[in-house]
Amino acid sequence: MNARTGLFVLGLAFLLQACAGPQKVPKNLLSLTDSQMKIRSFQTRTFDFSDQNKVLRGVVAALQDLGFIIERANAPMGLITAGKFAGGGLSGFVELTVTVRKKGEQRTEVRVNALFNTRPIEDPKIYQNFFIAVQRSLFIPG
Amino acid sequence: MGLTLLGGLLFSGCVQMAKPESFFEMTPEMAQHRALQTRMFETSNEKELLSASAAVLQDLGFQIEESAVGVGMLRAAKERSAREAGQEIMQGFLLILFAITGKAYIMPVDLHQQINATLVTRRSETDSSRFLVRILFHRSIWKGDGNAGDQAIPPGQQRMEMIHDAKIYQQFFAKLSKSVFLEAHQI
Repeated sequence: MNARTGLFVLGLAFLLQACAGPQKVPKNLLSLTDSQMKIRSFQTRTFDFSDQNKVLRGVVAALQDLGFIIERANAPMGLITAGKFAGGGLSGFVELTVTVRKKGEQRTEVRVNALFNTRPIEDPKIYQNFFIAVQRSLFIPG
Repeated sequence: MGLTLLGGLLFSGCVQMAKPESFFEMTPEMAQHRALQTRMFETSNEKELLSASAAVLQDLGFQIEESAVGVGMLRAAKERSAREAGQEIMQGFLLILFAITGKAYIMPVDLHQQINATLVTRRSETDSSRFLVRILFHRSIWKGDGNAGDQAIPPGQQRMEMIHDAKIYQQFFAKLSKSVFLEAHQI
């Protein structure tokens, strides 16, 4: 085997390497688990307001009250992204995304996803507190 | 003695842990902060208030990073040095103190900071001819590197704090009020 065939075999080996099957994507990547369904139920609350923008602004005001920094907002889509440093001796970052959507003629639905250090928060008590703050901001104007 | 001091400095980071439940809990200081950060203007022209606010922030050296008219929101930031004489004196003092005991200790000091502002306008619920402007200032501070004995302390340690200094807010609202030719009312 001369140098040329050696190079050829080496090149072929490199080429064929690409033919190895890709790593399998986990089958459950997009499937809903029971716990996700449960989390969704306490991440969502419906308010008796027909004005989506009013609810959206109420959520923004509540988040400001709670010391969150509004990072992005999109009124037509009803989207808010906010975050804050955990504080109080707890190191880390709390992030959240809120969507505010009209639900039927008379109601508006608020859904929030919160992360603490990039991991989803699954404690219902935390979400309850969030909705208490939103409720306050909507019904007891500052 | 030097070691005790170092230990004290290290453990001062371990104050009692807040529970994650507190992330969305309302606290008594909230009303105070809201009053500090909010002013009411007798105008129903929200766009004018927003663009005037953007102009004032620009005057103050901020870069507008995000704006959403439909929510009445602006976010702006500026970069500044965070060096403070006090910290550098402390660093020198500790360096000498530890050198006497034969140890090398260089305390990391604050080097750089980013000052951020988030501003939101909202129509007053009680009087629809008035608008509320609320601004939140906060800053992120990055530390430089240090050294404890033969262990290097890497740079880039970051902390963040809300700014609750009344003067900063008064200054901003005084400028905004001049810019829109309207008085800024306390709420």
